[in-house]
Amino acid sequence: MKHKNFKVIGKSIPPSESFDKATGRFQYVGDIQAELYGKILRSPHPHARIKHIDTSKVEKLSGVQCALTHKDIPPRKLPRRDQRGCYILEDHVRFVGDEVAAVAAKTRAIAEEALDLFEVEYEILPAVFDPEEAAKPEAPQLYPGGNVYGPQFGLMVERGLNEPMVLEWGDIEKGFEEADVVVEDKVEVKPQVHSPLETHICIASWKGEELTLRTATQSPYEVRLSIAHALGIPENKVRVIYGAIGGGFGSKYIERYQAIAALLSKKAGGKSTKIVLTREEDLCHASRAGAKINVKIGAKKNGVMTAIYLKSFFNLGGYGNVIGGSMRFVEESPSLAYKYQNARFEGWDVHTNHFTSQPYRSIALPALAFAVEQVIDQIAEELDMDPVEFRLKNLPESNDMMPVKPHKNPIYPRGRLDAYPAKQIMKEVREKIEWERFKGHRQPIVVEGPKRRGIGIAASQGWGGFCVGGFINETVILNNDGSVHILSGHTDLGTGSNTTLRQIAAEALGIGIEDVTIATGDTILGHFDLTGARGSRSLTTAGHLILVAIEEAKRKTCKMAAPLLKAKPEDIEISGKKAYVKGQEKHAIPLTKLLTSTVKCTVGGDPRDWILLKGAMWPFVEPGKKTRNPIVLAAEVEVDVETGEVKPIRIVTGNSPGRMINPMIVRGQYNGAAIMALGMALWEEFNYDSKNYVYEHASLADYKVPRALDVPIIENVIVEETVERPPSVGPPYGARGAAEFACAGVLAAIANAIYNATGARVRKSPMTAEEVLQSINRENPQKK
Amino acid sequence: MEAINKKWLHIVVNGQKHEIEVRPNELLVDVLRERLRLTGTKVGCEAGDCGACTVLINGKPVLSCLTLAMECHGKEILTIEGLSDMTTKLHPIQKAFVEHNAIQCGFCTPAMILTAKSLLDRNPNPSEDEVKEAINGVICRCTGYIQIIESILAAAKEMREVVREA
Repeated sequence: MKHKNFKVIGKSIPPSESFDKATGRFQYVGDIQAELYGKILRSPHPHARIKHIDTSKVEKLSGVQCALTHKDIPPRKLPRRDQRGCYILEDHVRFVGDEVAAVAAKTRAIAEEALDLFEVEYEILPAVFDPEEAAKPEAPQLYPGGNVYGPQFGLMVERGLNEPMVLEWGDIEKGFEEADVVVEDKVEVKPQVHSPLETHICIASWKGEELTLRTATQSPYEVRLSIAHALGIPENKVRVIYGAIGGGFGSKYIERYQAIAALLSKKAGGKSTKIVLTREEDLCHASRAGAKINVKIGAKKNGVMTAIYLKSFFNLGGYGNVIGGSMRFVEESPSLAYKYQNARFEGWDVHTNHFTSQPYRSIALPALAFAVEQVIDQIAEELDMDPVEFRLKNLPESNDMMPVKPHKNPIYPRGRLDAYPAKQIMKEVREKIEWERFKGHRQPIVVEGPKRRGIGIAASQGWGGFCVGGFINETVILNNDGSVHILSGHTDLGTGSNTTLRQIAAEALGIGIEDVTIATGDTILGHFDLTGARGSRSLTTAGHLILVAIEEAKRKTCKMAAPLLKAKPEDIEISGKKAYVKGQEKHAIPLTKLLTSTVKCTVGGDPRDWILLKGAMWPFVEPGKKTRNPIVLAAEVEVDVETGEVKPIRIVTGNSPGRMINPMIVRGQYNGAAIMALGMALWEEFNYDSKNYVYEHASLADYKVPRALDVPIIENVIVEETVERPPSVGPPYGARGAAEFACAGVLAAIANAIYNATGARVRKSPMTAEEVLQSINRENPQKK
Repeated sequence: MEAINKKWLHIVVNGQKHEIEVRPNELLVDVLRERLRLTGTKVGCEAGDCGACTVLINGKPVLSCLTLAMECHGKEILTIEGLSDMTTKLHPIQKAFVEHNAIQCGFCTPAMILTAKSLLDRNPNPSEDEVKEAINGVICRCTGYIQIIESILAAAKEMREVVREA
């Protein structure tokens, strides 16, 4: 890529909302008062039918406005894009904490008191909690069609149930025969709870037949679409205001509680009704899917991997979605992390009587890498190879055709990796973690009494965050003074995407970032976005479409400038608020003299995108090319072999964001992701007492998210690589998503580092002191 | 019944005197957010675990969700709204948080900034570990704390230089 002198992109500009956030003026949904307070009655049973429910005592309590049960709700499902549809309330409850009924009252205290007055009679049903068990035909059934929720294509369409998702190429039997070494292992990863600092929240109100819903959501148009469908009203009668969100990480999409608030408000004559989940509710509400994963890998003496067979069971909980589990586009990236000669990846998404799995920052990647990368280290050990060298032999690079053989069932077309510096990242991470200290697979780098230090490495691959057509609508308005206003369908979760998008627009128009404003946060703008802020796609997809709109606005403006400049439109440049013949900037016409009004262009993906692509969201940058994020992660840990306690000493993240639009924001995403995954690896423990039906992790005292003192040294290896293309073709200026991809390798690298320190393989995550100590005692008693 | 138990609370919030009639069980966080509409103070857990509701009482960080309003009788309270004039001029800690991208979703930011202020007021030259220790009670789920720690150290440096020049 030849060097370009960018003026706005590549600069660390603070996010535009930071000033208001630093002064306390930024207004979240919880900062707005409402007339009524809604509370939800939750199931005490993991699986039951409601035989009888009586609200008469509730309604008699002074201060109660109305109550809501499954008998009051419209007979229409609440569709959720990649989940089974569910009714707003049902007479069938599927987990401890499932929604049973709701009440709206003048104060929160009255609403809480009212919850005790519901009279409910349950018929208790048998329950199942393990996804592998739940996949068996004899398991208690959560749905008439079975618990396995197989591949589905198409918006809101449920089909293809009861099948695993499969990606396969070559012949694994042959591949394992050719191998000199075959290692098989099995791991288990507990669910991770998102626990954003702001719990789920909404305020619903009605004016006549029009609903306004203020809510913290990552996917406002999905909320609009689903609620409109469930209530049987047109989409244009639902307005979702979503400007402020106190963290989402994949947890905040369309939820029943939003529809419940809408119905309570409607019953209350339109009065504004607030529902805010307590911390306890929030911690037992949604999670990253727990997983059980079996991996078998074969390799030749020279280190080439001949075959992989991966079979995974993901725990969807009662209502979880396949994107939380092993949706095939998720699985395609980890399957392409290495040049496996033959492969079968089999993903079973299974409903259980746990609370719902949701997407979560890099979704299944940490669990998959935890499984695969530990087996890879075992193979490297059997072959007496260095773990880094082994990986370097198998990592793909730019322009490699992936997968190496055609898919048996071509869900995804094959393609060449676009700007994929995996090997360079691996080498730079090796240098930064000072890998020369690695003495051998079971040899700690430092021993001090009971404390052993070890280092570990892992690699993976993430999707690029770029949707081929893009489901977001974007409008660029070029004002006659040359300033620009953008109307956007994307959602800024606090990642700074509003700012990076402004940087891209400013660069393309040769103006300053202060000349670009962006409006989002309200569906009244009508800039539909099918997917919302997920998949690290806001910058890439919205940015791409903004650049396409800018190209169109420039073309229109050039046409108007042509007669005045006495030139052909294609010879004219629009930049710096002026129009001029290329190379003759001196004779430019200011836009103020050319335009009396605005030039406005709206673009979006093909409205049929999802149908045309059959669910494959980001296969190509351009035909035959795949945009993917190479991921490497190294960890150094200190393990106390007497207590099992693991202290992280150092983390090195290795990623390629293509091009950094805003280095400070990119770094913030990598650091935040790595620490979040560190919590998953070591301290955040989902705990369910299946005898007493109690989630034991239901407070932030028990569910230990990382705190400042837990944070080790973090260093970032960031390798930029782009392909020479016009900025509006493919990912904008070559930028790829960054938000999720430092999560993927953390569990795996920590596990490999623990092995290096102690000689013990930890096959369960989180790798708590208890778990690590058990592993040390089980696998390597002589070390004690 | 309630009316009988109500008491007059005299507090100074952000330099301004308030006399408010409160119930004995009323929490400081509710007085600040609901009565005075100072919503910069956030509620994250209502159990003293997350630290988002931290305000300064007589200069010390306190969890306002665990503090009865009446306990603050006669005391001075600083919330994020009182740290700067809120128009253009930011406190050096606020400025450092903005410039070092220590803010993502922003929900912990007011508590982090106030906790940092309390630290720097008593220790103008803290080590990295002292910064970590000071903010350990406030959870940030977005940033991984790295840029928050950098910001507090940068603000400390700037504040020391201002003092030196003065």
